[in-house]
Amino acid sequence: MSTRIQEKTRDCLAADRPATCDVCAVRGTSICADLGPREFAHVEKTMARRHVAKNKALMVEGESNESLYIIVEGCFRLSKMLEDGRRQVTGFLFKGDFAGVRSTASSAYTAEALEDSLVCFFPHRFLDEIAVDAPGVKDRLIARGQTEYHKAQDHIVLLGKKTAEERVISFIDMIDRQIGVDAEDGERHVPLPMPRQDIADYLGLRLETLSRTLTALRDAGRLSDVTRHSVTVPAGSV
Amino acid sequence: MNELWRKYLGRRAPRYTSYPSALHFDEQVSAEDYAARLGEVGLYDPLSLYVHIPFCRSLCWYCGCNMRVENDYGRALRYVDALRREIGLVGKALSGAGRPLSVHFGGGTPNFLNIPDIGRILETVESELGLTDSTRLAIELDPRLIRDGDIESLAALGFKRMSLGVQDFDPAVQAAINRVQSFNLVESAVGDMRRCGLTDISFDLLYGLPEQTVSSFTDTLATTIALSPDRVAVFGYAHLPAALPRQRLIDEVTLPCGDLRADLSLLADEMLIAAGYRRIGFDHYAKPDNALARAAISGRLRRNFQGFTDDLAETTIGLGVSAIGYVGEMYAQNAKTLADYYDCVANGRLATKRGIILSPRERVIAATIRDLLCRSGADMRPLLAALAPGEANRVCSSLDRLEQDGVIHWSGDIVKLAQDAYLLARVAAMALDPYEAAIGREQNHALTQAI
Repeated sequence: MSTRIQEKTRDCLAADRPATCDVCAVRGTSICADLGPREFAHVEKTMARRHVAKNKALMVEGESNESLYIIVEGCFRLSKMLEDGRRQVTGFLFKGDFAGVRSTASSAYTAEALEDSLVCFFPHRFLDEIAVDAPGVKDRLIARGQTEYHKAQDHIVLLGKKTAEERVISFIDMIDRQIGVDAEDGERHVPLPMPRQDIADYLGLRLETLSRTLTALRDAGRLSDVTRHSVTVPAGSV
Repeated sequence: MNELWRKYLGRRAPRYTSYPSALHFDEQVSAEDYAARLGEVGLYDPLSLYVHIPFCRSLCWYCGCNMRVENDYGRALRYVDALRREIGLVGKALSGAGRPLSVHFGGGTPNFLNIPDIGRILETVESELGLTDSTRLAIELDPRLIRDGDIESLAALGFKRMSLGVQDFDPAVQAAINRVQSFNLVESAVGDMRRCGLTDISFDLLYGLPEQTVSSFTDTLATTIALSPDRVAVFGYAHLPAALPRQRLIDEVTLPCGDLRADLSLLADEMLIAAGYRRIGFDHYAKPDNALARAAISGRLRRNFQGFTDDLAETTIGLGVSAIGYVGEMYAQNAKTLADYYDCVANGRLATKRGIILSPRERVIAATIRDLLCRSGADMRPLLAALAPGEANRVCSSLDRLEQDGVIHWSGDIVKLAQDAYLLARVAAMALDPYEAAIGREQNHALTQAI
C-alpha cells in the first residue's frame, strides 16, 4: 500500500520551491509556455516543486484533491478500484502530463509514482485567485499537456483494438510519442518504467499473452530489442 | 420442520434466478436493442460472461437444461467457431468498454469440448473483450468426460473454480437417472484438482431423484463430505415431464413423495452444517473461508442463472445458444436452436431472440426479491410504493398469511425470513411477486416445486 505524500497549503510556499522556473526542464516545451510574463510571475509565486518517491501516491481515489500537478520528471500510474475490489490500471502519466485538473472532494483515481519523480504543485485556490487578474490561466496552463481525461480517451482506443499484437504495438507507439528517445541508426528507444503486470492489466491481456506477444514481435523483427524496462523499435517502423 | 409449513411442500414456485423469470421474455427485445445497450456500457464497468456449451455425450433423464446429445465432434467445432464469431460481434458492440470480471463455462457439458478448444474460446474473449490475470475463470465438468491431464490443462489456462456434476453417488439412483459415474471417477477428479492447487471445488447434488431414500442420500452426503469440496449446491430435482419430454423416461413411482423430498433436503442441510459448511441462500453450502461464504457474510451475495454467487458484476453477457445476458436493465436471450443461432452469427448479427426490458417497478420488485433471497430480509417500503394499491394489498395479505404460519416476520418496514424457513424462501419471494398469480394459472407445468 503506498502512502500519500503530505501536501499542505503552506508547503506550497516552502523553501524547496525552486528559486526560479527558468531552469525548468519542461517549461519551454509543454508547461507554462503559453503564460504571459505577468501570469507567469503569479504562477511562479504559488507553485511548489516536490520529489515524489517511487510507490508514493500523488492522489488517492476517493480522497480530496486541491492541486493541479505537472509531472516534471518521472512516471505515474493512474488506477481505480473496480466495484469488485480489483484494481484497474487506467493510464500512465509522463513528463509534461497533468493530473488533478479539477479540485474535488473525491478523486476519481489514484496516481502513484512508478519511479522517483519530480512534480510541480499548483493549488487550485491560488490558480482561482490569479484567474481574477488573468482569466483562463488554468486552461492555458494545461493546453499543451495531456490530462487524465486524455488518458481515458487513449485507453478506450487501445481497448477497442482487436488483437493482442495491435494493442501492444499501439501501446508502444503511445509511450514512444511521450518518452521515446532516438537511438543509433534511426532506431527508437522506448523506456517502459511500469511493471509488465501493469501493462497487461492496462491492455486487458494476461501477463503470459503480453510476454508471448512481445517475444513474437521481436522474433518478427518488429521490435529490435525487448528488455525488462524498455523496447527498441527499428528505424522507420512506427 | 414446523408442522404449519407442510402445506407449502407441494407449492410450485419460480427459482427467481432472474426477475422477471425467463418465462416472461418475449420477442420485443431484438438484437439491435441488445447491441444498443452494449454500446452504453461504461469503460470500466465490470462484466460477467457466461458461455453455454450445449453438448453432452449422453442423456441424463432428469436434465432441464438446453442441451443435445452429440457424437460428432465436428459439430462441436462448428459451434466453437460460431461462439468465437459471436464474441467478436459482442466485442464490436462494446468497442473496448467493460472489463470482464469472470467467465463461467456452463452447459450442457463444457468439457465435452477438448481443452485446446476451450483455450481458443478464451483467446477470443481476451482479444475481443479483454482478459487479465485477475479475471475469474470457472467451469462445470462432467466427471465421466475428464481425461488424463485435462484438469492440469484447465488449471494452466487459468481456471480456478471447477464444479463437478455429482448429483448422487448411489448406483441405483444413478441407474434411474441414466447417469452412471463411479465414486472413483469423482475422487480422482477431486485429487487432480487439489494437486493443481485449486481451492474452489464445487459439487452439485440433487435431491428428489428417483430411488433416493434417507439412507442412500445419507451415504451420498457422507461421501461428499469425505471428499471435502469447498462448496456444495443441493438443488431440488424439478420433475416437469409435460414441459421436458426426456423426464418421461423416469419412472414416476420411484420418485420420492413430498414429505420425503423435504426430509432429504433437511438431511443435506443438517449434515453439511454439522460438517462445518455454511448455508448460503437456500440451496448452497460453502466452507467458511470460501469466497461465497465471505460474500454472504458481508452482504454481497447475489443471484444469477447459476444460483447464488459472489460475482459483483451487474452486467452479464450470455454467449452461445439460449444464453441469457443482462445489460442496462434488459434481459436478452439468444436463439434456442443451433440452426437459428448459426444463422444469426453467420450473418454478422447478434443472436438475441427474446428478452424483457425491466420497467422501474419491475426493478424495485427484482431488488426486493433479491434482498429477501440473498439477505433473508427486505425493506418493503419501495415495493409497496411501486405497486398499484390492489397489488400492494394482495402482497400484504399474502405476507400476513406467511407471518401467521411463522414463515416470515416484520421488523419495522423489513420483512425477515424466519430462522429455519430458508426452504420456503422462494414461497416467500412469490408473495412479493404480483406476476405470480398469472404464472400460477398458465404455466404451472413449467414451475418447480418449492421444496
